[in-house]
Amino acid sequence: MTAHVTLENVEKVFQKKPDFAERLAIRLGAAPPPAVRAVDDVTLEIAQGEAVGLVGESGCGKSTLGRIVAGIYGKTGGTFAFEGKEEAHWSAEDARRARLDIQMIFQDPMSSLNPRKRVLDIIGEAPVVHGLIPRREQPARVEALMREVGLDPAYARRFPHQFSGGQRQRIGIARALAVEPKFLVCDESVAALDVSIQAQVLNLFMDLREKRGLTYLFISHDLGVIEHLTDRVAIMYLGRLVEVGTTAEIFRDANHPYTQALLEEAPRIGRGRRAYTPLKGEIPSPLNPPPGCHFHTRCPHAMTICKTERPRLKAVAPGRLSACHLNDTTD
Amino acid sequence: MTALLEVRGLKTHFLTRAGVVKAVDGVDMILQPGEVRGLVGESGSGKSVASFSILGLIDPPGRVVEGELLYKGEDLRTATPERLKQLRGKEIAMIFQDPMMTLTPVLRIETQMVETVRAHERVSAKAARERSVDMLRRVGISAPETRIRAYPHQFSGGMRQRVAIAIALLHNPALILADEPTTALDVTIQGQIIAEMQKLVAETGAAMIWVSHDLAVVETIADTISVMYGGRIVESGPAGRVIGAPAHPYTEGLLNSIPSRTTPGQRLNQIPGMAPSVLNLPPGCAFAPRCRYAHAACGTPPPVLDVGEGRMARCVSPLMMEAAE
Repeated sequence: MTAHVTLENVEKVFQKKPDFAERLAIRLGAAPPPAVRAVDDVTLEIAQGEAVGLVGESGCGKSTLGRIVAGIYGKTGGTFAFEGKEEAHWSAEDARRARLDIQMIFQDPMSSLNPRKRVLDIIGEAPVVHGLIPRREQPARVEALMREVGLDPAYARRFPHQFSGGQRQRIGIARALAVEPKFLVCDESVAALDVSIQAQVLNLFMDLREKRGLTYLFISHDLGVIEHLTDRVAIMYLGRLVEVGTTAEIFRDANHPYTQALLEEAPRIGRGRRAYTPLKGEIPSPLNPPPGCHFHTRCPHAMTICKTERPRLKAVAPGRLSACHLNDTTD
Repeated sequence: MTALLEVRGLKTHFLTRAGVVKAVDGVDMILQPGEVRGLVGESGSGKSVASFSILGLIDPPGRVVEGELLYKGEDLRTATPERLKQLRGKEIAMIFQDPMMTLTPVLRIETQMVETVRAHERVSAKAARERSVDMLRRVGISAPETRIRAYPHQFSGGMRQRVAIAIALLHNPALILADEPTTALDVTIQGQIIAEMQKLVAETGAAMIWVSHDLAVVETIADTISVMYGGRIVESGPAGRVIGAPAHPYTEGLLNSIPSRTTPGQRLNQIPGMAPSVLNLPPGCAFAPRCRYAHAACGTPPPVLDVGEGRMARCVSPLMMEAAE
């Protein structure tokens, strides 16, 4: 299998630009405004046709990473390659292709659809603008796409507010599919939907994968969704990947203490009433992450080394990576 | 044992220009002291409106148009505003999804807690403060003596929810109404809050109605579960039985929609269609248009059947009865 998308040591630092007064203060010796390292040294390969899940809690940088892959944010360090070609060496045509081939589906369909445009234009605009189809073919293309995602094409002239949440999400999916992408980044795409509607949209994602041979990066905090949909999963905590492996293995036998805690605490149906032994403490602020292993403040197995030295993401089994000092001691 | 709360034929309607929205349309519920009830449903099913109705928190154009709300035998619908004020926050407490519905951003936690204590009891400010600090400690806030001086914005989302819970518990309420209290929180923080609530409910012996859209969360904490659809309770019963062998096709559909119950990669057994608009409910069973077992008899209002084991289902032909035949 060839790598479809390759991220190497990718980093994204958000820094507020100092205003005039702050620049003056910095010149007089004040500290510059704090930087948030939202994505910190992330290396990840996604193969053609694969569905990879990206899991983490709020503020862990999973959405930022997804947006870097989709080309919405630039990165501040590391390399990004699509179909074997590094971003730094892209021609104008390569960049255009990559941008069309990688499409994103957002969490809130209402804020990602222009409320003043009709569905026909929302779905049909991009392929016309990019010269994929002539304008006269637009209605036919939109009709086909609406059918594919399970919307009635008779509604093509309606506005987004005339649809329910699940239908709006289908519009967002049709819009992404309109430019014939190969890779979809889905950022919490079913999180805002009711359970019964969520199941319908998940089925749609699975059908599309089969029919179109799509590759997915599926970002979610919902472990049930991730387990169901993905082949491999990457767990993020405060900007860093802490564990990567096949979904089946990670759900069976997690290596990293954070992954173990996540799996333990996610409420899952059928376990019955039980006493919780929750993870202690809060998620630290990404503005001021703890030194060493970011997780050591909440980890039940923390040792002295965890407070000073950052654990590297290392292979613990074939195809399985984990960033934890506990794996060093067992060697 | 007399019931703590008896809801009979509760109807809460919203009289809007577009028509009468029957958000809650005939809900019956009996809650025993110390019972934890999970009230489950999707958006628009009326679960929140039902719990707000109990406390009289429905504003125009909404109105409780019919039904009885008996708290320890006392009718809350005919109670004077004075009497309701006495009950709210003392006997019956509410925890909202967004803790900022409980907290005001402009006052210190201390001011808000002391005020709550003294609203219902004649105690000195010092005693009220001590009780507040103690309660903050019980909900798992470290260094409560100093943190009580903080403003709400200085706390994280999970911590704020703990403060809201502490305020709700200040008077040892006999009934707690919790409306999606963990929905906005991260998984590990949600775990902490559920653990805290399990402990506190067991300690104080309070009864609780836990409103949620998430069956998995409800299962971890509830003794009994009621499932709502289209403004009515379609199934009730002991939590393990409702989850293990649902009697109503809607409950079954909800359970089948949860990804972790199906083999990974398999298509989910989805419920087709959309939730009905409560403006225009079908005349018979509200679920019939989406139900895969629907037949001609579903066009008339379905009866509430006792399906045994303390369970009821609002369905012409409940699933488990079919299986038994």
